[in-house]
Amino acid sequence: MELTDADLVARVLVDDDQHAFGELVRRHQSSVRGLLRQLTRNDFAMADDLSQEAFVRAYKNIRSFRGEAKFSTWLYRIAYNCFREDARKKKELVGIDESQWQREIDPQSVEPGLKHDLMHALNLLPLHERTAVVLCCQNGLSHDEAARVLDIPLGTVKTNVLRGREKLKRTLAAWGPN
Amino acid sequence: MKNNFIDDQELDRQLREAAPYIDDAGFTARVMQSLPAQSARAMERLRGTVLIVAALLASVLAYFLSGGGRFVYELVARLSALPPVWLFGLAGVAGIIVGALGLAAAVFTAREPAMITR
Repeated sequence: MELTDADLVARVLVDDDQHAFGELVRRHQSSVRGLLRQLTRNDFAMADDLSQEAFVRAYKNIRSFRGEAKFSTWLYRIAYNCFREDARKKKELVGIDESQWQREIDPQSVEPGLKHDLMHALNLLPLHERTAVVLCCQNGLSHDEAARVLDIPLGTVKTNVLRGREKLKRTLAAWGPN
Repeated sequence: MKNNFIDDQELDRQLREAAPYIDDAGFTARVMQSLPAQSARAMERLRGTVLIVAALLASVLAYFLSGGGRFVYELVARLSALPPVWLFGLAGVAGIIVGALGLAAAVFTAREPAMITR
C-alpha cells in the first residue's frame, strides 16, 4: 500500500528519514515546478532553482507543518514565498498592465494552436491573476486553499480568478464557433 | 456573446492539459544533495537541549547565590505592606502583561505558514 503524504511527513519528523522526504519531493516536484514556471513566465532555470530552494526550506521547517492543510498546499505556500522574495530582490513583482495585455493578445501576432494561445494568454495576465488562476484552475486548489497560499483575503482570490478566467476566455474566443 | 463559447470547467480542463507532468530528470537527486546533513539537524536539537539545561543550572545557581531565595521572602513582605489599591493595580498590570504575551504567542503560532520562509 502506498504511503500517504502524512505518513511520509511523520517518518521525516520521527526518524529524520531523508528517503521519505525524497519520496515527497518526487511526488510534488512536477506541480511545484509547474507553478513556479508559470510565475516566472517560463524561465525554467529560475523556476527549478526556486523549486529546489522551496523543498530545502520545507525540509528545514517540516516541524512547523501541523497537518491543518494538505502538504501540497503548504509546499505551494513556501514556493510562492520563495518566488516573491526573489522577485522583490529583482524588483520584478509588477504585472503587465491592461493596455499591454490588450496589445499583446492580437490574434495576428501569435502562433496558431489552442494550447499555445492559452499559455501565451496566461503568461500575459498580471501576476496576481495568473497566480490565482494557476493555483485554482490548473492545480485544483479551492479558493480557500489559494487564499492561504497567497496570504490574501478569500474575496480577493475569487475576484482574481474571475478576472483571469474572463481574460483567458476572451483569448480563446478566437477559437470558438463563428 | 462570442466569448461565452467556453465554460469554466472547459477552461480549467484546457489549462490542466496545457500543463503536462514535468519529468523529474534528476531534480529530486539535486534537492536531496542540497539538504542539510542529518548530523546538522541532530546538532540543532542538541543546541536546544543545551540551552534548556544551561537555563536550569543558571536558575539553581542564582537561587543559592542569592541566599536561598531570601530576596523573594523580602519582596513578598514588602508587597504585603503596600496599600490594597497598589496591590490591585500591580495585579492588574501583571495580568495585562501576561495576557498580551499570551495573545502574541497565539497570533505567532497561528501564522504558521507565513513564518516558514521569512
